[in-house]
Amino acid sequence: MTSLAMIASIYLRIGLMFVGGGYVLIPLLNHIMVEQYQWLTLRQFLDGLALSQLTPGPLAMLATFTGFRAGGFPGALIATVFIFLPCIVLMLLVGRNYERLKKIDLIGSTLDGVLPAVAGMVAAAAWNLGASSLSGVKEFLLLAAGFAVFRWTKTSPMIVILAAGVIGLLLN
Amino acid sequence: MSNSTAKVRLSEIFLTFAIIGLTGFGGGMAIIALVERVCVRKKGWISPEEFMHGFAFSQILGPFSLNVCTFTGHHLRGIRGGIVAAFGFILPSFVIVSLLSWVYFTYHKLPQLQAALKGTNPVVIGLILVVAIDMGRKQIKGADSALMALAAFGASSFFKLNAAWILLGAALWSLGAAYYRRRCR
Repeated sequence: MTSLAMIASIYLRIGLMFVGGGYVLIPLLNHIMVEQYQWLTLRQFLDGLALSQLTPGPLAMLATFTGFRAGGFPGALIATVFIFLPCIVLMLLVGRNYERLKKIDLIGSTLDGVLPAVAGMVAAAAWNLGASSLSGVKEFLLLAAGFAVFRWTKTSPMIVILAAGVIGLLLN
Repeated sequence: MSNSTAKVRLSEIFLTFAIIGLTGFGGGMAIIALVERVCVRKKGWISPEEFMHGFAFSQILGPFSLNVCTFTGHHLRGIRGGIVAAFGFILPSFVIVSLLSWVYFTYHKLPQLQAALKGTNPVVIGLILVVAIDMGRKQIKGADSALMALAAFGASSFFKLNAAWILLGAALWSLGAAYYRRRCR
């Protein structure tokens, strides 16, 4: 078992590197967990990755899985807290200064100026997810049903998603 | 707005984000779409524009689904609100992933959740589409913004460009446009 202080410092470091782009997380964790400390085999790491994708919440919950391996439940807790700590602190700082910054004319209009790009990126996410996971008629029907429900009714999205999970279990 | 939002209770923030965390299947953008539906549309906690600003910051600074939650929580109740939202959002996933990790390392088995995801994935895509359409209708006015939205879409879907770069490009574009408008005034 690795000491909790060591787990804390390792995940804090990862959390700091992770600020600046969530994209580096998987190769970074792989390098540190599998190659450097050898807490997990590559197979276990990939299973953990699958597990983080299967469960609700961010992909970064991979930290919980690897932390569990390194130090049981306390390790999982420490890993999760410390990997997210830097970005939470940073985001709170952004939030604190946001109102003030927004009032500066040039910054405010720049912020508003990027909003069409945000809309385009959200649409692209739907496209990317669709390209990688839509394969059959059933999936397209579910997509159409989901779209219609969210577009024209006020049903809680959580209920719809949970129901869709049950449908998925029944159909497959 | 700040008058009515100041009264949101921390317990309500916690509960709302815990439920989002519990149902946030499908990764970052699925969670963003959920937060948008709940916090912008349903509860009116944050304006669509402010939410999208938070989203832009979040994309650049690390794990963006968590960042959007922190940002929204902070908008409602300051530092405490941000911490409560982040904690509430992570807690359910933390409990689930820890338990499944325990199962995995004890029995060397992964849960058979793949089938459930076959149901949630298409529906989540539908949700993201609806949010994208809502955002587009509000934000795309005129050729300029349509072009930017299309460029961002293409850069992200066909060229797989990193979100931070796309946003940086868009920021430079709009900064240039704002500067130009100023000079002409």
